[in-house]
Amino acid sequence: MKFWGVRGVSILAGLGFAFGLETMVSAGLPNIYRLVVLAGLFITLAVSLNLINGITGQFSIGHAAFYMVGAYSAGFVSNQFYAQQSLGPQLWLVVMMVFGAFMAGISGFVVGLPSLRLRGDYLAIVTLGFGEILRIVVQNIAPLGGAYGMNVKPFGSPPKAIWIVWTLAMVCIAVCRNLLRTAHGLPFLAVREDEVASSAMGVNVPKTKVTSFVIGSAFAGAAGALFALYDTFISPDTFKMDVSFIILTMVVLGGTGSITGSVLAAVALFAIPEWLRTLQDPVTKVAIQIPGPSLVATMLAVIVAVALVKLIQDRFYGDKGKKLGLYVGAVGAGVAVQFLLAALLKGVPQLAKLSFEAAALRMVIFSATLIILMLLRPQGILAHHEFSWAWVSKLFGRRPSEANA
Amino acid sequence: MSEKPVVLSLDKATIQFGGLIAVNSVTFDLYKGDLFGLIGPNGAGKTTCFNLITGVYKPTSGSIKFNGKEVGGLAPAKIAEMGICRTFQNIRLFPALSVLENVVVGAYLRHKTSVYGAYTYLPPAINETESLKKDAMDLLEVMDLADMAGSRSADLPYGKQRRLEIARAMATKPDLILLDEPAAGMNPQEKEDLQATVRRIRDEFGKTVLLIEHDMRFVMGLCERIVVLDHGEEIAQGSPEAIRSDPKVIEAYLGEAV
Amino acid sequence: MLHDTLNLVAGLDFSILPQQLVNGLLLGSVYALIALGYTMVYGVLRLINFAHGEVFMLGSYAALFTSWSLGFSPEALAGQDKPSSWINLVLMLVVSMVVCGLIGMAIEFLAYRPMRNQPRIASLITAIGVSLFIQYAGGLFLPQSPPPAISEQVNPYRNEKVTVTLAPPPQDLVVQAKDARAKADQMDKAYEAAKAKGDPTSLESMRQETQAAKNAASNLETQVASKSTGLTVPYGQLGMLLTTLVLMALLWFIVQKTKTGRAMRAVAHDFDSAALMGVNVGRIITITFVIGSALAGAGAMMYATVLRTPLTPFLGVTPGVKAFVAAVLGGIGNIPGAVLGGILMGIVETLVVWLDGVVPGLSGYKDAVAFVVLIAVLLFRPGGLLGSSKVEKV
Repeated sequence: MKFWGVRGVSILAGLGFAFGLETMVSAGLPNIYRLVVLAGLFITLAVSLNLINGITGQFSIGHAAFYMVGAYSAGFVSNQFYAQQSLGPQLWLVVMMVFGAFMAGISGFVVGLPSLRLRGDYLAIVTLGFGEILRIVVQNIAPLGGAYGMNVKPFGSPPKAIWIVWTLAMVCIAVCRNLLRTAHGLPFLAVREDEVASSAMGVNVPKTKVTSFVIGSAFAGAAGALFALYDTFISPDTFKMDVSFIILTMVVLGGTGSITGSVLAAVALFAIPEWLRTLQDPVTKVAIQIPGPSLVATMLAVIVAVALVKLIQDRFYGDKGKKLGLYVGAVGAGVAVQFLLAALLKGVPQLAKLSFEAAALRMVIFSATLIILMLLRPQGILAHHEFSWAWVSKLFGRRPSEANA
Repeated sequence: MSEKPVVLSLDKATIQFGGLIAVNSVTFDLYKGDLFGLIGPNGAGKTTCFNLITGVYKPTSGSIKFNGKEVGGLAPAKIAEMGICRTFQNIRLFPALSVLENVVVGAYLRHKTSVYGAYTYLPPAINETESLKKDAMDLLEVMDLADMAGSRSADLPYGKQRRLEIARAMATKPDLILLDEPAAGMNPQEKEDLQATVRRIRDEFGKTVLLIEHDMRFVMGLCERIVVLDHGEEIAQGSPEAIRSDPKVIEAYLGEAV
Repeated sequence: MLHDTLNLVAGLDFSILPQQLVNGLLLGSVYALIALGYTMVYGVLRLINFAHGEVFMLGSYAALFTSWSLGFSPEALAGQDKPSSWINLVLMLVVSMVVCGLIGMAIEFLAYRPMRNQPRIASLITAIGVSLFIQYAGGLFLPQSPPPAISEQVNPYRNEKVTVTLAPPPQDLVVQAKDARAKADQMDKAYEAAKAKGDPTSLESMRQETQAAKNAASNLETQVASKSTGLTVPYGQLGMLLTTLVLMALLWFIVQKTKTGRAMRAVAHDFDSAALMGVNVGRIITITFVIGSALAGAGAMMYATVLRTPLTPFLGVTPGVKAFVAAVLGGIGNIPGAVLGGILMGIVETLVVWLDGVVPGLSGYKDAVAFVVLIAVLLFRPGGLLGSSKVEKV
């Protein structure tokens, strides 16, 4: 009884959160609306790739392919049948989402098959290749708009999507989390750890691998379908290799295998570039300009600071307070280098005449953040930890006692 | 002895890798409740023999029957389901999983609830998980590992990792358990404990045990029947006493006290 | 079915096949040079160096800037022709190789060395990060698609070529063409004479007839050209093939015959044991990166100069991925495999363009074919063409 009570409350809370987000954001700018939709989609993508990559250990680096299958199959069908349907835009969106998931699931099955024969990097390159082949095929199919892309009905008037997108994200998280909380999740982890031992323990390794591919790709396909109908325009360029890499990065940066980590990294990595895109001077509303010398100085200063921090991290064994002091010193050294170099580089005429818009720097900052985070915390933000109240209380429970002591 | 039913029967089991015949026409029968030893010098084909029985390799010719059914060439998972489970010479635990989880993976083979109940976190799946964990805990008690149930299996000392592998294999509820050098790397005290444990597996749990071991004292003190392999061929079979005095065996081990 | 196939084959233009194969070989040798870097780094570190394509891109820019500083910048040329010499090309090649080698070393030192004891996937993400960083930072500082000065002006042999005829055209056609040309010349002469005489009555009709005869003659000549099988190879491309061969021989010598090469092979075989045997693993890894990157630099210089590819900061992505595919195809970690895979990839790609003649639209799939070939090969040989697929010992 208590079980169903908790269950009901959490489902209601989840739906409440999704609808609350919808109401809150729809009052705001259309730009923000789009960002919240995309954030939900990227969470779904990262968590679903985590199932394949982090939990089952199948090194797939072509996740954008499934995203694309969902988007194109839903987009195409929606264009054919949107006029005839009488479900209303929201229900239609849900139907298309299920359809996109189904189609992507099938493609996930097909891609999963080589995983039975190939391992590690070889599998990785095959999944990457599958994505590229698919993208190029779509580029050459005229009814799908070819390289120019395709408008998706209902054109220009996207249905309200936030609650559906975020419900999908929550369902995706719940499915992975539930799987891991029961014994049924263990074969997936066992396959990641050791295939030979797994099969000797009676784990049906091929079935486990393919299942993980099918579920993971189906969620990615559902996200793709929502993207197609929400954005009302899709093109092969939206699903390039870079997108696969970014999703993979979210999984690794969050901590391979950690669902919570995937969610956090998805939000962070998605938010950083989008935030930089909108960066402008608060007063004049003009995009902020960064002079060339200070940009180069900052890049070099970051290298110096990160190198110092890394050195301290690896070589210094001492009490925490001293270490913290050294970290502060390293960052300070970085700042000093920045000022010094900026002043020096102003004397270089070729550099001094350059100036960059902050928005143009977003991918540079994004990739630099990626490298730095990976260097300083290679096991990922959360490593293998999962969010749970017990973990939180352990994390914070210790602090007061240390402070008292 | 012959009244007991035959559990495993190898009949001229042979495997060839290119030009090398790794196991040549090996024939022996295991009866229910046997404590059976498989010995031989390095490279004699003992582990290959295990790999044939558990489906890692497909025999080139000959038959391997388990409880009367042919198992040669079946998938390892299928063979495990039929009731043969093994440990590995070079320990193959699931390193990042906890000790308890390792054993539950073994126990999972006998699960009954649907996986869809797991995706949706329904009570049958939860209850089954609880009961599998409980069974696994009981096994850890038997193998004297219960106090480490929560730690990562990779963090266990070597001897305990070997015991954990046995516990994991036991969890699949096999009729026949194959132990590949279970005492390797153990100190004398640990070996003695292990002997007792293996006996307990047979006596208390009623399993049939087939084991490979290099430590002659361990094998002679434990096994009731022994097969000796050399260069893939079977050179002797019988009780420990008979093996000890067999001239072929002595020649194979040349000088080593048997 | 058979009929259709025969029709397809009949539609193929075999006269341009040898030329296409040569083009494929050239493209393939660039892929091979890049693939060597991937495979060598993978051999020692088991790391897919995703930033390798970007090193290649920077190499092509290094060649560009060298050509500019040699006086071939668009401003200095100002639309004028300027004599060049082969020394300029060698200089560009050397600068490209040195710059790439240094960049490879820097990347290894700054981004990969600190990750050496971390899980492989973490290094992989770092590699992706480095790759993105170079692309986008390059987008800020490097000129976007600069005028193709290096391909047009620096190469002194850009107009000189060797023509080899493999199969002559049908004799009667040659005779026909010759006759037609002679007739046209004759008519032309007559027309000129009439014009000089100033006989206005038939001048216009004579002019038209002469033009028609000229057209017929050049039509026949084109036919002769298309019926003869042969190939034309510019000197630059010959030099490129030669350079590639020399570099590969050099690599073979280093890997097989020197002490450093032996150490490299030892590290590739077993990282930890090599370290225990007294091999300075750090130094060997640095050398591997330097050699691999320098080879990519050589490929980049030739890609930009001889193959006349327009430069952009994203230039490295496509050849990078294809070269990586080539390395996997040949068996990653295997040096001859990388060469074989690269050349195969280049030839397959040009053959697809060739087949476009009978299957219109096929060339649109040219970038996909690399992966199709790869997947097909991996399903039958999971370790690549020359690689050994290690069976895990149980």
